[in-house]
Amino acid sequence: MNWIQVLLISAVVTLLVYLLRSRTNAKAKAWVKVGYVLFVIAAVYAILRPDDTTVVANWLGVDRGTDLLFYALVIAFVFTTLSTYLRFKELELRYARLARAVALEGARTPDS
Amino acid sequence: MYVVVIDPSSVWIIVPAFNEAQVIGDVVADLRSVFAHVVCVDDGSRDETADVALHAGAHVVTHPVNLGQGAAIQTGVEYARRQPGAAVFATFDADGQHRLKDVVSMMERLSRGDVDIVIGTRFAGSTISHTPALKRLILRAAAWLSPNSRRLALTDAHNGLRVFNKTVADQLNLTMSGMSHASEFIALIAENRWRVAEEPVEILYTEYSLSKGQPLLNGVNIVFDGFLRGRMRR
Repeated sequence: MNWIQVLLISAVVTLLVYLLRSRTNAKAKAWVKVGYVLFVIAAVYAILRPDDTTVVANWLGVDRGTDLLFYALVIAFVFTTLSTYLRFKELELRYARLARAVALEGARTPDS
Repeated sequence: MYVVVIDPSSVWIIVPAFNEAQVIGDVVADLRSVFAHVVCVDDGSRDETADVALHAGAHVVTHPVNLGQGAAIQTGVEYARRQPGAAVFATFDADGQHRLKDVVSMMERLSRGDVDIVIGTRFAGSTISHTPALKRLILRAAAWLSPNSRRLALTDAHNGLRVFNKTVADQLNLTMSGMSHASEFIALIAENRWRVAEEPVEILYTEYSLSKGQPLLNGVNIVFDGFLRGRMRR
């Protein structure tokens, strides 16, 4: 197995586990921000020296830097999709509770 | 054995309804002939469901938007459990697929006092079930595949008829708004260690109730929601 395969698979699995466990505590949020800063730094570097991504790709057993970035993009996309899905589910629940409170306020009894 | 006699005025029947104006009147009137209190949760219907139910003698709680059957049941239970004297609760589908006498026998079962909740089953004992073959196969598989159903020895994981006491009503917290609430209900039974029993019931598969029923493919959604459930913040 290539290094890239090991890395990609473990990234997917780690993201999944991380996502499904502690998404809402302050620590997790802080790590997301740290990850974002690292991402920006890496992006600026890759923009300034695009050929270096190929060097990194070669270390990992990928031919071109473009392919490496594509793989990273796929993982980022999966991460975003899953976290959006879970966020929506949570919002749905809050929305249901809000609607329930409104419904209970306006309950009608048969006598009145 | 110690027998708890159920006072009819302590019983609340919860009927979630979505666009059921055609049948809700008869269903409520039928229930009202035996039970004093019926609460119909109108789940944002676009037809006259709420007015028809109110006219038939039900308390009506109307969701301002459509939320799903699970949310409607939760709303109904929250309404009923804060009524003075409420002690026994039942969920009953609005499409006329349940029989009144099944609810009565389930109440008798609950009144023995050794369980907290009684669930209807299409597949227990000697009842002849008229469930369509494919639906039957899938429902049995669902009950068998669910670890909770198996541990609790339940044979029908998706029956809309449930009778339960105040303990269950007070602790009930359904978070799955859609059709996944049936398996969530079973999961809550396991988590809260409610004592559960099954009672054979008959489902009337009328043309109307079949047309309103959920497509079998929805089972995929239910299984998926089941995996996610533990991960949701309450």
